[in-house]
Amino acid sequence: MSLPTVRLGSVVPSHFLKRQLDVIGVGSLGTLGVLIAWHRPAQWLLTTNFLPHAYCYLSNRALVWTNVVADSLIGIAYLAISVTLGYLGYKGRRDIPYHGMFLAFGLFILGCGGTHFVEAVTVWIPVYILAAVVKVLTAAVSLTTAAVLPFTVPHVFDMIRQAKTTEQRTAELRASEERKDALLQEVHHRVKNNLAVICSLFYLQSTHSKDEETVQIFQDMENRVHSIALVHESLYGSENLARIDFAKYAQGLAEGILASHGSPGVHVDLKTELEPVTMGVDLAIPCGLILNELVSNAFRHGFPDGMGGNIKLTLHSDREGRFTLCVQDSGVGIPSGVDVNMSQSLGLKLVRLLTKQIRGSFELVRSDPGTSAHLHFSVNHHAC
Amino acid sequence: MHADPISHEPRALIIEDEILIAEELRDRLSRLGFSVIAAVDSGEEGVAIATRERPDLVLMDIRLKGEIDGVQAANEIRRHVDVPIVYLTAHSDRSTVERAKQTEHDGFLMKSFLRRELQSTLEVAMQRHAIRAKLKKQ
Repeated sequence: MSLPTVRLGSVVPSHFLKRQLDVIGVGSLGTLGVLIAWHRPAQWLLTTNFLPHAYCYLSNRALVWTNVVADSLIGIAYLAISVTLGYLGYKGRRDIPYHGMFLAFGLFILGCGGTHFVEAVTVWIPVYILAAVVKVLTAAVSLTTAAVLPFTVPHVFDMIRQAKTTEQRTAELRASEERKDALLQEVHHRVKNNLAVICSLFYLQSTHSKDEETVQIFQDMENRVHSIALVHESLYGSENLARIDFAKYAQGLAEGILASHGSPGVHVDLKTELEPVTMGVDLAIPCGLILNELVSNAFRHGFPDGMGGNIKLTLHSDREGRFTLCVQDSGVGIPSGVDVNMSQSLGLKLVRLLTKQIRGSFELVRSDPGTSAHLHFSVNHHAC
Repeated sequence: MHADPISHEPRALIIEDEILIAEELRDRLSRLGFSVIAAVDSGEEGVAIATRERPDLVLMDIRLKGEIDGVQAANEIRRHVDVPIVYLTAHSDRSTVERAKQTEHDGFLMKSFLRRELQSTLEVAMQRHAIRAKLKKQ
């Protein structure tokens, strides 16, 4: 989540400061230009007919060098600080409020550094006029900075307050997001639980029937509801409460269907080759229901009388992002002369209806051996 | 604990808070040759019956009615009786499943895969438990 940018109530001091800085900058550059073009003032500035500081130190080597080294180091440090502040103020001129303040501090510290460098020189070369001018410039910058700084104080407090409020709101938002997720998870759990109860009802009802066809009807219904329940179960366990890992779901669903149809001594193996893809509920549920019908059909019609073989389940995508879900069995195949696409079975009717719902296309073809069903669909139309 | 499960119908206890799912389990278990001594919906009741009846197998849902959940109930049962316990889970309660996995258990059964895995999970659980009991005796 991106934090909202802090807006300032007033920027008057910043404008004021900028103008001051401009004046100082132009003034300094102008003075320098005059000195270079007209060397009289330069000569005056670099007048050396005074006693160098070394005399005051009585040329004590230790004292001289201690002062020179210390002043130089301070000067270097100040220079480095002002370069950093200047860089920060320049680079962050759009994002940092009062970036002008950084420039002012940079200039002020630069001036301080300058006085120390001159101090190091005047030990031997008494350019005291230059030293005085540097000090006057530094004083001007320091005073400007000192004068402007108090104006920024209330605004800085404002900013701190706003930042704190933003932080608090972010925390509140995050907490409410977490509550929403927990609630959603609970809803998926309950939906799944209710669907599981419906499955149990179908199962229990089927145990009260002696008629094999009736038992089969209840088992079909149980499988259909189960394929929906499994979507909710996958959802509330996943990191993303809106999308499921379809490959994992399809694998689990197909294994469950084969197990429900399986009887002792019948061996129909499941082979899978599933490309990873995530789907929203609106696509996953119809796809799951279609898959349930296709795998059930393959088992029921492909392997009569306890015949063994295998069912291959594949999911591939092409370059345009269209997916093809394919259920291929090695069973007996469709008898010649039968047009399966005209079949009136409920299973195939459901497949056709649901294919329409997901704006996909479906075909059932004879393969060698057995039958293969292809469902083409696009995931993007159903982006959640 | 009966050492030889062939000599009698193994006795199972179901602890599951959804009564219709419990009923389905009862039916499936009896088809697999178990005699279901009770199906209860709270951990406390489950602990009481398991301690008193000493079943040969406990099928335990992790989410339960009452104060204690399936993991706590299983720990409590184990303190009193040595019995194979198979957890019933919706695989999605990840943190709970992780907690359950750290306790001693004999199997996990996803509720969604009852049809597929019930028989094999129970067989494995009872064998595992028998081996463990034998090792403990030695």
